[in-house]
Amino acid sequence: MKKPICLLVMSFLFLTTLSSPVEVLAAPYYEGKVLTIIVGLAPGGGYDRMARLLAKHLPKYIPGKPSIVVQNMPGAGGIIAANHFFNLVKPDGFTIHSLTRTVFNFQLVKDEGVKFDARKYSWIGSASSESTVFLIRGDLPYKSFADLLNVKEPIHTGYVGTGGSSDIVIPHILGDYLGLKINLIPYPGGNRDIILAFERKEIDATYLTYSSNKPHIKRGLVRPLVRGRVSAPEIENLPVNEDLVNDKKAKTLMAIISAVDKVGRPYVAPPGTPEDIMKIMREAFRKVAEDPEVKVEAEKMMMEVEYLSAEESLKSVNFVLNQPDDIVKEFIKYSKL
Amino acid sequence: MLEAFAEGLFLVLHWKPFLYMLIGSAIGFWVGILPGIGGATTLALMLPFIYKMTPQEAIPFLLGMHSVVQTTGDITSVLFGIPGEATTVATIIDGHAMAKKGEGGRALGAALMSSLVGALIGAAFLALTIPVVRPLVLTFGSPEMFMVIIVGLTCISSLSGRGRRGLLLGMMTGGFGFLASMVGQDPHGGILRFTFGQLYLWNGLPLIPVVLGLFAIPEIVDLAVRGTAIAGNVPSENLGKGVKEGIKDTFRHFWLTVRCSLIGVGIGVLPGLGGGVSQWVAYAHAVQSAKTLEERSGFGKGDVRGVLGPGAANNSKEGAGLIPTVAFGIPASAGMAILLGGFYLMGIIPGPEMLTKYLPLTFSMVWTIVLANIIVVAVSLLFINRLARLTIIRGNLMMPFILLLTFIGGYTANNSLGDLIVVLISGGVGYLMVRFGWPRPPFILGFILGSLAESYLYTSVLRYGVAWLYRPWVIILFFIALGVALYPFYQERKLRKRMGVGR
Repeated sequence: MKKPICLLVMSFLFLTTLSSPVEVLAAPYYEGKVLTIIVGLAPGGGYDRMARLLAKHLPKYIPGKPSIVVQNMPGAGGIIAANHFFNLVKPDGFTIHSLTRTVFNFQLVKDEGVKFDARKYSWIGSASSESTVFLIRGDLPYKSFADLLNVKEPIHTGYVGTGGSSDIVIPHILGDYLGLKINLIPYPGGNRDIILAFERKEIDATYLTYSSNKPHIKRGLVRPLVRGRVSAPEIENLPVNEDLVNDKKAKTLMAIISAVDKVGRPYVAPPGTPEDIMKIMREAFRKVAEDPEVKVEAEKMMMEVEYLSAEESLKSVNFVLNQPDDIVKEFIKYSKL
Repeated sequence: MLEAFAEGLFLVLHWKPFLYMLIGSAIGFWVGILPGIGGATTLALMLPFIYKMTPQEAIPFLLGMHSVVQTTGDITSVLFGIPGEATTVATIIDGHAMAKKGEGGRALGAALMSSLVGALIGAAFLALTIPVVRPLVLTFGSPEMFMVIIVGLTCISSLSGRGRRGLLLGMMTGGFGFLASMVGQDPHGGILRFTFGQLYLWNGLPLIPVVLGLFAIPEIVDLAVRGTAIAGNVPSENLGKGVKEGIKDTFRHFWLTVRCSLIGVGIGVLPGLGGGVSQWVAYAHAVQSAKTLEERSGFGKGDVRGVLGPGAANNSKEGAGLIPTVAFGIPASAGMAILLGGFYLMGIIPGPEMLTKYLPLTFSMVWTIVLANIIVVAVSLLFINRLARLTIIRGNLMMPFILLLTFIGGYTANNSLGDLIVVLISGGVGYLMVRFGWPRPPFILGFILGSLAESYLYTSVLRYGVAWLYRPWVIILFFIALGVALYPFYQERKLRKRMGVGR
């Protein structure tokens, strides 16, 4: 009597273990844990707000539903965080980094502070692409970029960044190759100082991110005339900056900037993070970008969440960083004034 | 207009907005008192919570926090000599000196009451001038901003000690402050200056750790050396009465308080100067109001007017800072920039609509500042006697606590260990400055304004060539700066003459 029952129980147990779903084994990894997103800039900016939006919604899509906190590590335009993340953080999947995309430019121009290689991070992907546009002051009479080509006076162009960012490189190239007298004027205080300078009619033009300046375009303070390769619905019809020049080198330089724009909000894990953790992360990011709740909240903040896969992101990054020496030299030349 | 004004009040008085305002004020109360954590950072941390709120609830929540931070920041500055906020450093000079004399209650009463007056004046300014402020802000281009900074820098002459030696020392420390602000990447070409190969220094020396080290550490050392409580060996009965004295002082020197509030408003409304400047200009003005030579030297040793000035100015700049933020979407400071993010989140686009469609909402901001400050000041006054008693606790019990606050404050500003080293080094420098009688306020002023001055000058020259010197406001501001710089000399001569006549 005992033997058959024993056999029944044993086979029952055996069958249940065989049929248990794989997730039951993988779920505990993030169970009850805290995932930290390190942001390389101060709170309040675009990267920070995107990170906080993701921190709110990602847990649903990560098995184990970890709580996510955002930690700011500002300094040197994002280089400090990028260095720290490359060299000091354990690749255990509990810390990821919202990489400041301009650090690719810093690495390209071989900046002395760069102690990381952007290609070697374990890439999750990018949470959005950022279009950049050439903006002209609303009350000026130029309706298209072609109108600017005949202008003899200096075009006072504001810029924010240092070290190879698009707001210096693109106007500089456009000026040199198209014979425009672009007078680059620094506004280290940031986007808001440039907008104020527009209000005061102190500057005529600038080359900045489209999404950050949508409110000002809407109210007519500025008008976009040219865009980078990364587009957005409202600016689809604008000429692309690469198409405005004929020289191959100039086109490549602009293509480099556009490639950086494409990987607009890069997210990475430390080099050497195990593949199965990377899979979880990439899936979670992909799903979060499709979440309708996230779309609504992002739109309120004038942001857009659009997942660019790790392969696509790496393609762009490699394009930027694997350039031959002569192109790098040209890039360095145009990132100065 | 008047209906909108009243409607704004009713918006805040509904139970949900009012509750959120109370919560915001409670958060702001602690953020102000704790050194290191600033109003701007806290605003950023509070933003995720407003997703589900309506604008009428979110604004009292955010503003309720941000507008009381300056009020309670003065408390820490007075009691412990540690700046509760980067904008309450000037209150330390005379406020903490008063605490050491046993007049802590009086200093607190003065600080709180002047904060309230300042907040009310700032709010009133916000209410009255939004329609007309646009031309004002637009006239001030980069050259004019540079001249405003020069005016600010000339206040150094009033912040220095007395006499020619005092002025010389003040100029030198101001110059050192200016030099210290040059550390990091230059704004034009990104060239690194004074970074000694350290990536940490690329952004320059961080303000909060420098200020904490410069002011807090020498106080702690002083406390240790004296071996007494903060208030020395003064008997404790005076503390309670002191608070009422402080409140009365605000009204005794009412016009000074009002003038300093107006200074806070004037500087706070200009985007690009940040919040840290108004307190020093107001302090310099308070010093200039001294009527005798003894009074002038009394500043820095515990003159209540040295508390009233900065106390009022750092609150009035709040209301003023909202003006460009709301009227054009140009934030006047880092905190305002984050608040702007909050507006966008709620679908409010700053601009002409704020004065038409959303006028009641704009007035609700005014009322939030008013009500939040009244409530916080009232609550603080209730507790102030207990708080003032902290100054009679034995020094060696207080020291570890103050030291801990200082270092945590220094660390939490940027989560960076490098900041702690900066705190220590600035502490060493600050101690030496106190020991040898070199004044610290000019250093801080030079430090805050140095890199700002450089970038505005650069921008002005690049944009206008030499022509910027001929702009009308530039010339006007130049003469104002000259006046401010020379006033202490004029003041001394006038006072000496007066004393001669009196003999």
